[in-house]
Amino acid sequence: MRIIIAGAGAVGTHLAKMLSDEQHDIVLMDANEERMANLDSNFDLMTIAASPTSISSLKDAGVADADLFVAVTPEESTNITACMLAHSLGAKKTVARIDNYEYLQPKNKEFFNNLGIDSLIYPEMLAAKEIADGLHLSWIRQWWEFSGGALVMLGVKLRDNALILNTPIFQIKKEQPYHIVAIKRMGETIIPGGDDMLQAGDLVYFMTTKRSLTYIRHITGKDEYESIHNVMIMGGSRIAVRSAQLISEDMSLKIIESDLARCRWLTEMVSDNVMVINGDGRDHELLSEEGIDNVDAFVALTDSAETNILACLSAKRMGVFKTIAEVENIDYISMAESLDIGSVINKKKIAASYIYQLLLDADVSNVKCLTFANADVAEFIVKEGARITRSQVKDISLPKGVTIGGLVRDGEGILVTGSTQIQPGDHVVAFCLASMIKRIEKYFN
Amino acid sequence: MIHLKTISRIIGTLLILLAGIFLLFGIASPFLEGNDLFGFLVSALATTLTGLWCLIIGKGSKGEFSRRDSYITITVCWIAFALFGSLPYWLGGHIPSFTDAFFESMSGFTTTGASILDNIESQPHALLLWRSLTQWLGGLGIVFFTVAILPMFGIDKVQLFAAESTGVSHRKIHSRVSVGSRWIFAIYIMLTVACAVSLRVCGMGWFDAVNHGLTTIATSGFSTRQGSIGAFDSVQIDYVITLFMFLSGINYTLLFLLLFKGKLRELYRNTEFRVYLFTVLGFTLVITLGLLAQGDIGIEKAFRISLFQVVSLQTTTGFATADYMQWPPYLWMLLSFVMFFGACGGSSTGAMKCGRVAILAKSIRGEFNRILHPNAVIPVRMDGNVISGDTRATVLTFTCLYFLLIFIGWFAFMVMGLDFVEGYSISVSCVGNIGPALGTLGPAYSWSALPASAKWLASFLMLVGRLELFTILLMFTTSFWRRR
Repeated sequence: MRIIIAGAGAVGTHLAKMLSDEQHDIVLMDANEERMANLDSNFDLMTIAASPTSISSLKDAGVADADLFVAVTPEESTNITACMLAHSLGAKKTVARIDNYEYLQPKNKEFFNNLGIDSLIYPEMLAAKEIADGLHLSWIRQWWEFSGGALVMLGVKLRDNALILNTPIFQIKKEQPYHIVAIKRMGETIIPGGDDMLQAGDLVYFMTTKRSLTYIRHITGKDEYESIHNVMIMGGSRIAVRSAQLISEDMSLKIIESDLARCRWLTEMVSDNVMVINGDGRDHELLSEEGIDNVDAFVALTDSAETNILACLSAKRMGVFKTIAEVENIDYISMAESLDIGSVINKKKIAASYIYQLLLDADVSNVKCLTFANADVAEFIVKEGARITRSQVKDISLPKGVTIGGLVRDGEGILVTGSTQIQPGDHVVAFCLASMIKRIEKYFN
Repeated sequence: MIHLKTISRIIGTLLILLAGIFLLFGIASPFLEGNDLFGFLVSALATTLTGLWCLIIGKGSKGEFSRRDSYITITVCWIAFALFGSLPYWLGGHIPSFTDAFFESMSGFTTTGASILDNIESQPHALLLWRSLTQWLGGLGIVFFTVAILPMFGIDKVQLFAAESTGVSHRKIHSRVSVGSRWIFAIYIMLTVACAVSLRVCGMGWFDAVNHGLTTIATSGFSTRQGSIGAFDSVQIDYVITLFMFLSGINYTLLFLLLFKGKLRELYRNTEFRVYLFTVLGFTLVITLGLLAQGDIGIEKAFRISLFQVVSLQTTTGFATADYMQWPPYLWMLLSFVMFFGACGGSSTGAMKCGRVAILAKSIRGEFNRILHPNAVIPVRMDGNVISGDTRATVLTFTCLYFLLIFIGWFAFMVMGLDFVEGYSISVSCVGNIGPALGTLGPAYSWSALPASAKWLASFLMLVGRLELFTILLMFTTSFWRRR
């Protein structure tokens, strides 16, 4: 597949690396040559130092026979222009990164299609949504809904007080309203069999329906978790602004930002339940003056992954039970996990998994990248005559590292067991280790 | 640079327009009750001559216009209108003293509505209509009125509007200011007609209905009766006038959006309007309870007269249905407090305006927050948007100046022999363009007994208040006249 990526920023670079590892034909464009100097020599892709809005450079990049054109520069208008040009020059599919909530509204979808933009991606919004979900359901590390909420998948960190520890899964699993799809233990992702046991410190991914949330909360020993009222965000980034807009009105929010001009800008973006504080979020005195004792959740969203990790650690030490850090440096993610930072937000991975689903031939409506687990969850729509419908689930030899979590039939979420018979038209939620989606899509077609 | 020729030309044109109005009144006069044909004709003649003289001076103007010119134009224009507008009273012999005639005229154009007439009912009808019309012309601003109807000058009108308009922020309803002003003027006329017709339906005669229509929508308060609205003694009329006073207190831009674009949400989202609505309701509630506590009055009546009085004073109209000086003193005090608020900017009302009050209140709350959170960046929001520090500073300066002016006026009035309460209240009433004050200057009395010096001072304060302090006071700064 020939893919042109415009913009060698964090998202673009990550995407280029990831896709080039998967044997796609990648061209990376950016007006700034320095940004790409490293990539050209270390990865199997082509870089073009030219503006993505220049017609001649687009032709040079071979946009005429590109299967996918992804514009992810920081400038929204550049992305939109580049996509419009690329579409007219022959690119089959275009994706533009945007920074405007208005554009995402469904009523504007056709308008953008007419302009030649097939898909819009708003990484800050997706990240903010993850943060807001994490704050509303404070005992959950990760949360993802399938088919409009008929099935949910959630990641929960088990502590010593969980009720399901040290018992083989086949014993606890009987007739339970959930399915354990994966366990993340000591930096390793396990797709559990019946004999595996859960241990304290495991991050367990459950597939379940919304009805059973209270039960899962109980068995994972999270009954005493209080809901979150006071949130402190460090760093006034765009994600912070979007999060402030998504967080419910009854939470009181403080955003700490060290740049005064940025603070003024923030006050124009947020509403009255948000207080903007000018200062350094690593300053303990400032934090205690602003009442860190009463804060239930601390979210670190500065540009520096190191700062975010350290700030979350010190917030934990000051008694905040829920911390969320934005870690853009992918190498630090596992470290952040081992340091027991609650949730990690990675804009790049979020954006990449979104774009990844566009590459799949199968009819995939939803792909979620699990930041910690180095794994993906995808929602497939089963086609007539697909391999997976031929027999019961236990009799189909799925590749290792893949498990089917559940399915949605006629709008109702059903958990999958060995004896489940999958039918055409079902929405199947599959969990698989990194980059395996490509290999299992043939089961559903 | 001051461009004398351009200014002269504008003033000349406006005076010719005024002369034209006089002439119309002269023609209409024989058809109305009372005889004042002579007064209007002589006034028309004098105004025409002065206007022509101004035009001759202004001949050869190249249409150059600076920021200073706009302030001078507005000031001169308002003084000239008050001056020539007083001629029909004075030359017609209906108000023999020139001081009184000028005061009446200034009180009219500034929409204050304080009167020195002790025998309103016996005045010729054409004169009374002129008296109401002065208020109507002054309501939205004399220059505004002229620019809205005349395609003239060929100068930058934006500055002129800025010097005359009221309130904190100015949102345009059309990219061209003259088109926008025509829309607003159209709403002004619609409201006036609606008010006059409603009053006629409620049982007023046509003459009274038209006069009160003009003065209600201009939120100015001249009545054709000595006893103001109370003289009609009608529940319906009370409510109709209350409603129209309230409507006229709303920002005309918002009324435009409501009437022509159907944006009701916009109205409720507007912080200034909300403050206006809730202050009116709050003050009404307190005063109703105060009157009920005094006893001897029905709930409906207590509510009606409190609502009427609060709306009348807050929109700076100054009509009266009851003599509030008969109420317990703490209620007068409260009413004098209402006089500071005013309604919304961009309307025909005076005083400080609810927008400024809202910004002040929010700034105060912000200051308290700042003590608790010294590092916080605390914005002041209006309509959900952050107000810039400059705007806040302007509002604070305006407020200080407003109070300073009231205190200086108060002192000066007391030097002229007024007592403590009267000196205070007349100062508040004049600067806020309200009309009635307290004590012997209350709604039951005219201001004819004031010494001449106090009438001139009151006229000055009314003008300063109407043009929102800065326009007139700027003339008194040395830097304005310095050549650079």
